[in-house]
Amino acid sequence: MIYRTSPERREGPVNPMPKSPSPSEEGSGPRRPEPGSPEKDSLLKRMRKVDPKQAERYRQRTGE
Amino acid sequence: MLNRIFGLETEYGLLVHQDRPDHSPTWFAHKIRDHLFQVRRRGVLDLHHRGHDEPPGNGGFLTNAGRIYLDMGHLEYASPECHSLTDAVATDRAGDAILQQAIEEAGLADHVSLIKNNVDHETDATFGSHENYLVSRRFPFTRRGLGPLVTFLVTRQIFTGSGRVGAARPQDAWIQMDRLIVPRAATGQGPGGPHLPFQISQRADHIVNDFFEWVQQNRAIVNTRDEPLADPNQYRRIHLLLGDSNMAEYATALKLGTTGLVLQLIEDGTAPRDLDIVEPVEALQDISQDQDRRWLVQLHSGKTISAIDIQEQFLEAAERRYRGQDEETDWVLQQWRSVLQDLRGDYERLVGRVDWASKLWLLESFREAEKLDWSDPMLKSLDLEYHNLHPGKGLYYGLMEEGRVPRLITDKAIALATEHPPRNTRAFGRGELVRHLLACGSPPEAEHSKPDERYFPSYVINWSIFQLRGQAPFPMPDPFRTYVQEVRDHLSLA
Repeated sequence: MIYRTSPERREGPVNPMPKSPSPSEEGSGPRRPEPGSPEKDSLLKRMRKVDPKQAERYRQRTGE
Repeated sequence: MLNRIFGLETEYGLLVHQDRPDHSPTWFAHKIRDHLFQVRRRGVLDLHHRGHDEPPGNGGFLTNAGRIYLDMGHLEYASPECHSLTDAVATDRAGDAILQQAIEEAGLADHVSLIKNNVDHETDATFGSHENYLVSRRFPFTRRGLGPLVTFLVTRQIFTGSGRVGAARPQDAWIQMDRLIVPRAATGQGPGGPHLPFQISQRADHIVNDFFEWVQQNRAIVNTRDEPLADPNQYRRIHLLLGDSNMAEYATALKLGTTGLVLQLIEDGTAPRDLDIVEPVEALQDISQDQDRRWLVQLHSGKTISAIDIQEQFLEAAERRYRGQDEETDWVLQQWRSVLQDLRGDYERLVGRVDWASKLWLLESFREAEKLDWSDPMLKSLDLEYHNLHPGKGLYYGLMEEGRVPRLITDKAIALATEHPPRNTRAFGRGELVRHLLACGSPPEAEHSKPDERYFPSYVINWSIFQLRGQAPFPMPDPFRTYVQEVRDHLSLA
């Protein structure tokens, strides 16, 4: 099989990437969370449940 | 994408909830692996020695043709070979889902959490997220040929980094100076002080060389190990270990997609030149730690330039050559430009797409609400929680729940990828093999197998070859071929 010339090599993606909106455009794509919004309150609530000591307990071995 | 096979290897951290000396992260890693292979029968355990640190039973291939195994005490998942970014993202998320599901099914969820990050803030331990890209054997794998890749990799962290609180000062790192390998601590070099509030990359502090073949203590920007796991006359596998594990699907796709296009530029001899960075390892750390996010680097040409401007030069070269190549290429080019444009403004525009930006926004929001200083240890715990794979706890999933995260694939696609391999690479053929072995009944457990099975195991599976006892070896040297019919024919004779 020759690199680049095989039909199997030229096969297109099975599931093309979705047409993602451009997040930088006004009015489309994901918005940044607004300060004081219910969403932000929900995230703060989730963060307040975190054990403050968990980073001390993590104790991982070095890997690769 | 055209001419590319992608793969990701992820080492997971395990956060043990209660301080019990008999329940170490490694103890849980064994329990999770055993549940997957022996209870859920998600795949088949290796029956042979894959290496000195991979005895029989250490891990195995899954029905999705990926692997789960223990590596230096860490649970590690290697994705199957993927020919599209969609598959690469789906199989990466599938690894997360397989392991999280195993924890819940095994009744361990109250005792341990899976953390998909790369650092331990307290011990400075690091563990990897490795990327694999198949390239032609004609790829110019020389210092000169790899120059553009180094420049690209040093600067891509501005949109691929996962961010972390503080800095690491690993004392066990070794670096190459001239022709000698010396401990970095003896040279006085190393990343910044312990009071650094936040940096954009998890791994930058742990990369100490530009090129090297080791993967521990001497991690390099480009790993030079020559192990193609394919026909060595046709292919080379570019193995990168400087990247962070990404939670955002968008960041994973952009990381793999932009790197794939830059490799294509290098293969075609059209990558931007004259962008060689002075001291790339230091530049990698300087960019990560730059609190002003100006991200300036000095080039050998004497010019000072920002990481964003460097990335734009790579983007423009890729746009000139590859626009219209295929749908995924066009998606990458569009999103690459969008991210670079937004990086010139307020980082909050990138929340949901770029992990360091999402994490920084969460931490800043919490600091503001609770009036905390950056030195507060709670921030390190929140940093970990961003990577928690429990959907009800992880902070990334919190952003997703609030609709702040663009999705590239559906939960259904992830669920399918936990069981099924991509159907346009050799993973398809390997998946058939694993299903056949599972259908034949439970393979003997490695530690309890009979002596003749230890020396002549009933099967041996590796990435590019397998063999069933009594049959000829079945090589699969081309990752772009599925081998599926040949595998079925071969198995019908077994």
